[in-house]
Amino acid sequence: MKFITKIIFIILLAWVAEIYLPWWSIAAAAAVGGFLLKSKANFLAGFLAIAVLWLVKALLIDMSAAVPLADKVSKVLLVNSKALLMLVTALLGGLVGGFGALTGSLLRGK
Amino acid sequence: MKPLKIVLSLSITLLLVWSLNKSWVVGGNRIPPLGKFLDPFHGFWQNMEPNDHKLPQQLNIPGLKEPVTLVFDSILIPHVFAQNEEDLYLAQGYVTAMHRLWQMEFQTHAAAGRVSELIGAGKDDAVLNYDKGQRRLGMVFAAEHAFKRMEGDPVANMVAFKYAEGINAYIQSLSYKDFPLEYKLMDYAPEEWTPLKSALLLRSMAQTLNMGDKDVQMTNALALFGKEMVDLLYPDLEPMGAPIVDRTNRWDFEPVKINDIPPALPAELIAISNLTTPDPNIGSNNWAISGSKTKTGTPILCNDPHLNITLPSIWYAIQLQTPTVNAMGVSLPGAPGVIIGFNDSIAWGVTNAQRDLVDWYKITFENSRKEKYELDGEWKETRKVVEKITVRDQAVVYDTVVFTHWGPVPYDESYRAENNRMHYAFRWIAHDESEELLTFYKLNRAKNYNDYMKALDHYSSPAQNFVFASVTGDIAMRIQGKFPVRRKGEGKFVLDGSKSASGPQAYIPFQHNVMDKNPERGFVSSANQYPADATYPYYINAVSYEAYRNRRINTILRESSAITVTDMMNLQNDNYSIKAEEVLPFLLDHLDAAALSDSEKYGHQVLKAWDYYYHADAEGAAYFEAWWTNLFPMIWDEIRNDQLSLSYPTAWNTINLMKTKPDLEFYDRKDTPEIETLTDLIRQSFSMAVEDIMEWKEKNKAADKIRWADYKDTYIEHLTRTEAFGFHVQHGGHANAVNASSRKHGPSWRMVVSVEKDGPKAFATYPGGQSGNPGSLHYSSMLEHWSNGKYFKLLFLQKPEDAGKQSFFSTTLNPK
Repeated sequence: MKFITKIIFIILLAWVAEIYLPWWSIAAAAAVGGFLLKSKANFLAGFLAIAVLWLVKALLIDMSAAVPLADKVSKVLLVNSKALLMLVTALLGGLVGGFGALTGSLLRGK
Repeated sequence: MKPLKIVLSLSITLLLVWSLNKSWVVGGNRIPPLGKFLDPFHGFWQNMEPNDHKLPQQLNIPGLKEPVTLVFDSILIPHVFAQNEEDLYLAQGYVTAMHRLWQMEFQTHAAAGRVSELIGAGKDDAVLNYDKGQRRLGMVFAAEHAFKRMEGDPVANMVAFKYAEGINAYIQSLSYKDFPLEYKLMDYAPEEWTPLKSALLLRSMAQTLNMGDKDVQMTNALALFGKEMVDLLYPDLEPMGAPIVDRTNRWDFEPVKINDIPPALPAELIAISNLTTPDPNIGSNNWAISGSKTKTGTPILCNDPHLNITLPSIWYAIQLQTPTVNAMGVSLPGAPGVIIGFNDSIAWGVTNAQRDLVDWYKITFENSRKEKYELDGEWKETRKVVEKITVRDQAVVYDTVVFTHWGPVPYDESYRAENNRMHYAFRWIAHDESEELLTFYKLNRAKNYNDYMKALDHYSSPAQNFVFASVTGDIAMRIQGKFPVRRKGEGKFVLDGSKSASGPQAYIPFQHNVMDKNPERGFVSSANQYPADATYPYYINAVSYEAYRNRRINTILRESSAITVTDMMNLQNDNYSIKAEEVLPFLLDHLDAAALSDSEKYGHQVLKAWDYYYHADAEGAAYFEAWWTNLFPMIWDEIRNDQLSLSYPTAWNTINLMKTKPDLEFYDRKDTPEIETLTDLIRQSFSMAVEDIMEWKEKNKAADKIRWADYKDTYIEHLTRTEAFGFHVQHGGHANAVNASSRKHGPSWRMVVSVEKDGPKAFATYPGGQSGNPGSLHYSSMLEHWSNGKYFKLLFLQKPEDAGKQSFFSTTLNPK
């Protein structure tokens, strides 16, 4: 339960942070989550939170898009598939979120 | 252990963020900063617009005096309603930047030789050398002169500065999230816009249209082939049909006289390789028909400027209204006003005026320091400009350009002329001060013929054929530009730069320029052909004149009556080639039908059956094209040279020589021991053409019938050449047809305006769309109509409310 709460907390905090701050604010949001809330598997919580946030946001944008730009950008970045591009998006966001949360939890101590 | 873990985890986090916030060059390709770029809240995902993407209903814009209403129609053309002139141009700058910011900035960077700054020096320094070239040709020098005049004139100053203010208001409203996609991909940010950039943009257009020349190439041809052969291969005038203005011996003015001693012919070979001659196929069409030939009884005006078709689109359509102006048409993103269009009273359009406006002067420097050069028996000081070129990820490059009073010396030991010990100064008419902005300002407000004439008096370069029609029934054509009075033969070859008398002694007074009003034939037209016949009292010369489109247009217009708008749309999309008509039967006569292989026999049949229309499905067009592109360089193999720049004769003259000079020494192929005749070349090139076609079919897995549209493969390319942002289009046409669509060039805007008493009825389209964003529906929303030869009826409004249901959305810009 704590694990899920932490994920939701990080998602919400990162979402608000992204409105006002640049993309790297996700690391800070995840760190704050890791620091304030205690749970197991801190890295995984941070990873899943940001990966889900980014994936859902990307999906929502893509669903209403007038032009298949994600497909085109996937070609520019040589991944050649929109699905793969979304996965890369989630993965990179997740990694930053994961290490952010881990750092936050370590700072908190026991 | 714990502190170590913290440090380790924190370090990894920071390293990740740092490396994902930075753009890397991997294997020569720049990849965007992946974290920043892929973040769906700020990165490229934010450039994906929904179908119904709209602006807020209210926006606050600094610098406005009064509110401005913007109505956007279904193809996203903004209709700008301002209450005063300052606000009008500010709003134009704002809305143009909103749709085209990256393009306008990139084009001005390219004009100024600043591309290395954005993308690095490129493979083999290609980008850096491009940048050096732009600076060495004096592009910034030219723009500064244009800007100087702009700044000094109260109207031009207001227009240019307000436009810049609008662009900057938009730029200042942006954060990374809102940047156009290209900035995110290439990882840089927009800089402040200045009116100098508008000048650069106009000069960049002049470079595309009017910087072409072949003086060096002709000088080399003279040294290699002799005067007589040069006159045969490259005549000043090719008598192929009617000039733009046909008034033999009816030039009712006393021409300006200068000494008429022809310049001495140069005898040198100039070792500068790969100088390019402008593509003779680039050009445009315009015409106006008097009410006597139209169904409505009022004039119709048509214009389709042909350019290298790129995305974001070259043109940006707009309507501009204040209590003192109501004009609509297309603008160039980066320049204020409407360039081609119409208002309540008149319509106007342009094609390029073919004229030699470039000269090269041979310079003798005192010594290798190039501090002085010889002029009229004395040593005159040069001016050295050190160009500072910022190169991304590398040290700054400095390049010294030597300027003489003629202009810069672009090619020297350190740039493209390593083996050439001679130097030439470059003089381009657009290096001079000029005030084109005033022409468009006044055309936008012109009410009649007199206003049109007065507007053109401000226009110097790039020289254009301005077509005109008014609601009062006048039609006109005026070839306007600043033209030197030349002695016979002057400007065809390089000139002696040690005598000031080699330079322009006078300029043709504007009232002596070639022009025509309400001619008896009931129409005026231009398609880049020669402006006037040899009785025109000034010597004229150009890189080349168009030979085919102009005759087709004139024939159709002459034969037509009760002309409708639809007829004119059909003419703009006409695919007939007079060139094919004139040369193909001749070529076919030279084939030996009995000696053909099976695939050649098929090609022969297809060609015999072809009606010379370059329709999208025309198989004969593909065969003919393959044949001509093999034959032409085979005839002129002597003219290909890796060390020296040379120029091919025109297609028209090639055909003319084939028919009239059966024994020309050029028919022999230098790379074979045999002595070839023209017939041999025609047969050999035919076999090669059929082979090419077979190969093409195999490669493209085409069925038995080949389509011209597939073979030509019209490709509309993004300015960055990013394949994913371009479009392959099924489209007929050919450079020699009225629908002058070749692979990458073609009609960049098609406009038909019926100038009627109850208001203009205008129809238009262009190959792209209003938005420069590849993630917008309007990046390419006009493309399909363009490729199908269809038009949008332009919404020309008197007041915002008139838009009714045709308004997609509207926005009010409020003073902040």
